Amino acid sequence: MARIDLINLRKSYGPTLAVRDLSFSIADGEFIVFVGPSGCGKTTTLRLIAGFEEPDRGEIRIDGRLVNDLEPRDRGLGMVFQSHALFPHKTVAQNIEFGLRMKKVPRNERAKRVREVAEMVRLTALLDKLPGACSGGESQRVALARTLVTNPSTFLLDEPLSSLDAKLRRELRAECDRLHQELKKTFIFVTHDQEEAMTLADRIVVMRAGDIEQIGSPMEIYSNPVTDFVADFFGSPSMNLIAGEVDHAEGGAQFRSSRLTLTLPKPFANVPPGPVTLGIRPEHVGVQRDGRSGADLDLPVRLVEPLGKDTLLYFDLGSERPFVVICEGLAMADMEAGAIVGLDLARDCLFLFGPDGRRIAQSGGLTAVPARAQLAAARVGGAAD
Amino acid sequence: MTKTQKRYASSAARYSILTLWALIVAFPLYWMITTSFKPSDQWFSWPPVWFPSPPTLANYHDVWLGSTSVAEGGQTALSLQTPFLALRNSMILAFGSTGLAVLYGAIIAYGVSRYSLLSESRMFQLLMLKMVPPIVIIAPLSLYYSYIGLLDSMFGLGVLYFLTSLPYAVWMTKSFIDEVPREVEQAAEILGASRWRTVFEVVLPLIRSGLVATFMFILILNWSEYLLALILSKTHVVTLPVELSKFEGSTEGKLFGRQAALSVGITVPLMIVGLMIRKHLARGFSFGMVRR
Repeated sequence: MARIDLINLRKSYGPTLAVRDLSFSIADGEFIVFVGPSGCGKTTTLRLIAGFEEPDRGEIRIDGRLVNDLEPRDRGLGMVFQSHALFPHKTVAQNIEFGLRMKKVPRNERAKRVREVAEMVRLTALLDKLPGACSGGESQRVALARTLVTNPSTFLLDEPLSSLDAKLRRELRAECDRLHQELKKTFIFVTHDQEEAMTLADRIVVMRAGDIEQIGSPMEIYSNPVTDFVADFFGSPSMNLIAGEVDHAEGGAQFRSSRLTLTLPKPFANVPPGPVTLGIRPEHVGVQRDGRSGADLDLPVRLVEPLGKDTLLYFDLGSERPFVVICEGLAMADMEAGAIVGLDLARDCLFLFGPDGRRIAQSGGLTAVPARAQLAAARVGGAAD
Repeated sequence: MTKTQKRYASSAARYSILTLWALIVAFPLYWMITTSFKPSDQWFSWPPVWFPSPPTLANYHDVWLGSTSVAEGGQTALSLQTPFLALRNSMILAFGSTGLAVLYGAIIAYGVSRYSLLSESRMFQLLMLKMVPPIVIIAPLSLYYSYIGLLDSMFGLGVLYFLTSLPYAVWMTKSFIDEVPREVEQAAEILGASRWRTVFEVVLPLIRSGLVATFMFILILNWSEYLLALILSKTHVVTLPVELSKFEGSTEGKLFGRQAALSVGITVPLMIVGLMIRKHLARGFSFGMVRR
């Protein structure tokens, strides 16, 4: 059982502010993922909870008890480190046993628990090896087992998968998910990988520059991003953001940029005129093979990337980043670079962000969950079964 | 030149330099060992005798087991201490003080590395202590030691060896401890280990090659220390280097063969230790390549 409350946490390293003023609660048994770019304060927050860092001010409570002054070992937490941090001079079995030995568990009991946990994470064959002889994925499982065996109330995982290759990551991600389902403990997982966050989390905490940008379920974060930062961070490829401005002509609000003029649908009627950023996800742009009058945009294709399941088309809209469109299947895979195509922006999937990056208005969102978000949600749900 | 030729040329050059260097280093050892087996008329004969003929064990016998054939003057000098007693003293003093210095130094170094126990300039000052030549402090130290009754005692000399090697121990072990990833310690900590347990179960075992290298380095210094041992000991505590020096002043001239025989006895224990730990030495001196 562990409910964790963070209240007005602040932490700085000299002049660098790592965590500004962080307050939120983690429910018992919840799988929370901190996500954000490097330097956003997510690892610092985790280390504050673990007790490796002392907050400048604020409170950390575990099950209501103030733990600010407790040593890490007295907080009843388990942590898996990014570097795995195995003891290289001890065998896998000794590594797993370490926590039990520190807690003065009798020898027979220790051996039994080590065997159980080793079976749980499929390490039995490796027990007599040294960590140096283990592969990356195996080391990660040893690190997990070493934490599991002490039966902590909460698991803290600091980018545990970042040193592994893509396939192993997916495997171990599923493993984490399975463990969470089996153990019903609180998991706090730090990552900079939005895909990991989307697939694992009950709730995602998006952090940026020491502040929480948004907290919500993966679907909420994906469908209703509150800032252009969140919109940009989640989704692969990320949301297309087009700088322009809104003005009101006859017929309602209009968005104008150097290449694009768009009449905005109803939900945007009250947006005040001024500079904005228009956002649309790559999967919400329709592609017409031959450029035709009446399309929102007629553009030459710059690059075609057939991925198998999908095909990515890149266009130049005069901004820093290319405008990306995703088409299902290989229907567009034979498109030649330079060919002119017509692009239609789905009116019910638009976002407008103000100059400060905050969302001003959106059409769609959770009420009309985009196809890919549903897919992600299905993956989360499926893994939960 | 082709690439292959270049490679041959460079390895030829490398091996000739290494061979030359090996000869320079090995020659005194060779000379010491052969001399120790030479009968007295071959010690400084000209042309030099490269291989003792016939080799004799007389020098060893005389030095280590006491002699009947040594002239009167030499005998009195030798009879003050038997070399085995000096060997025992040297063993206790060098191994004991070195072991303590490395252990204690590692603990201080841990504090320096993790808690900034000593600032950079303090660390440098610590090393500066080692830069003071012993001859400078030996006179006041001798007076002081005589005042507090530590003169000519194992404890007094041991404490001094321990204290003078501590700066090296701190400096060397600190660089090894700096290499130990913090996360490994924190992993131990969150698994329930106290700070001391973390140090003794995780940190020190991880740097054991470094500790061994440090131990060897300091052992060599303490084993062959001469000045302090000479001045601060009188009759009770004689170490091997002091014992060796007694052959210098013998009235019948320099007993090279016996000196060589004793020198072999002084060198062999260090070589045995070195061979025993050579695996660690190679790793200790290239510690930066530790796998993380």
